Amino acid sequence: MGLVGPNGAGKTTLIKILATLVQPDAGVVNIAGYDVRQAQRKVREIVGYLSDVPGLYQDMRVVEFLEFFADAYHVRGPRKAVVIEQALRIGGLTDRRKEFVEQLSLGFKQRLLLAKTLLHEPKVLLLDEPATGLDPLARIELRELLKQFNRNGGTILVSSHILSDLQDICDRVALIAAGRNAADPEGHSILVLNGQTGERITCEVEVLGEAQEASQAACAFAGVKILDRQGQSFLIEVAGGPAQVAALLRHLVGSGISVLRFDTRRSALEDRYRRAFGEGRR
Amino acid sequence: MNPMIRKELRQRMRDRRAWLLPSLYLLVLSATVVLSYYFSAKESSDPEFLRRTQGADVGTAFFLTAAYAQLAVLLLIAPVFSSGGLTIEKEQRTLSALLTSLLSPTQIWWGKLVTALLYQTLLLISALPILALAFAFGGVSPQMVGAVTGTTLLILTTISSVGLYCSSFFRRSVHATAVTYALVIGMMLMTAIASALFSAGTREFVQWPLYLNPFFTLTVSLSTEADHLRSWLISLSLFLALGSLAAVLAVRNISRSGESA
Repeated sequence: MGLVGPNGAGKTTLIKILATLVQPDAGVVNIAGYDVRQAQRKVREIVGYLSDVPGLYQDMRVVEFLEFFADAYHVRGPRKAVVIEQALRIGGLTDRRKEFVEQLSLGFKQRLLLAKTLLHEPKVLLLDEPATGLDPLARIELRELLKQFNRNGGTILVSSHILSDLQDICDRVALIAAGRNAADPEGHSILVLNGQTGERITCEVEVLGEAQEASQAACAFAGVKILDRQGQSFLIEVAGGPAQVAALLRHLVGSGISVLRFDTRRSALEDRYRRAFGEGRR
Repeated sequence: MNPMIRKELRQRMRDRRAWLLPSLYLLVLSATVVLSYYFSAKESSDPEFLRRTQGADVGTAFFLTAAYAQLAVLLLIAPVFSSGGLTIEKEQRTLSALLTSLLSPTQIWWGKLVTALLYQTLLLISALPILALAFAFGGVSPQMVGAVTGTTLLILTTISSVGLYCSSFFRRSVHATAVTYALVIGMMLMTAIASALFSAGTREFVQWPLYLNPFFTLTVSLSTEADHLRSWLISLSLFLALGSLAAVLAVRNISRSGESA
């Protein structure tokens, strides 16, 4: 699940509340049934937290750093060595285990932090801007690591300003502004992404001839909304997920429209973010 | 073993200061006692002085010089080791990782205190041979060495606890260190000034402000008089109370420092 909103929206505060670092002023916050105020220790056992500006002990070796946090999470006995080896492997740091942290590149430091966060095998990851400062390759690797964690049954709450990353890894994205739930013009405070039922997919369509007739045909299809129309092209939003998009394409062709191009826009989250937080809506 | 202690010791002993500081400390202490002995030996070239002076007097003077010099140097060093303990975690942004681990605020505080104290104990122990040189002249008992070492250690524990409290309160090491030094100087100077002011105009020496003066505490620890023994115990209790209060407040601050972590 992603968490997006303008600067000062309260994303970091919300993540800190979930990580038991900050006490909420009011309300109830539960993670896996545990109240973050009453059962802090239980919450810490199941949560892995990575802060927005994470720090490292630069004068420790990679393996010493992981050993320290394994001890701090009470990972003991033979399991400790196994868990550390696993963390080194996940972070791609096996060959760098003896290196001092200060010798690592930014990408490897971020891998080390993520490896540390996964040491105690948490069920929930709370990540605040995890890709800040990473080069494109490191970002791709981070996304792959998170997807793998998710495939293994873990839950991730990630706050990020890099919407394309969220688009890639999140099933849902929550909108937040001024410390409260925000919503797009349609009233959705949680946007469903990536093929989930109820997802709203933005499509760019180019047809032979005027777009007027084609857009009218598209409008006749359930769950379609015209966002923009220019010359031979028009932009639409389809509710219902990929199956609905495929059905719409069949409908257009079946209606005798000569479709030259039909693209689902990968930056749909950007459009929806702009509509939710654009001028006049902050 | 508390993981904090292992981590702190590893980092501290890797630091160049780990061997530089004990070397400098022993150098300063040795220089002080050698100079003190040189001047007393120079004075003793006077035959009349030699006739009156016993070896025990030289031994006691030698021992007291070493004990006071040791306390003075350690009071200068103690804030450096404690007041940066928690602020460094804030400055390098590692406190949030500690607070979200299964380490309790008390374990974090204890790890920092023990490491600071272990290093200061190392300095104390390394200076024992210098103190023990006084045995060669006589006039000094092993109990006196024990009392000096124990009292100095308790004073350093209190100063370290106060330093850690400052470290838990401030965000930056420079502020925490400055305030800790101000408190240490206050304990040394303000208590003496207060005692002098209260004593002025009265026939009696008002000593209660000195109960929190490290040098007064060390002085009464060496006496066998009942009055001084009472003052020593009161003084030690006050140091213990101050250290405990600072510890409780520091642990409370650590547990509430998630927002700034």
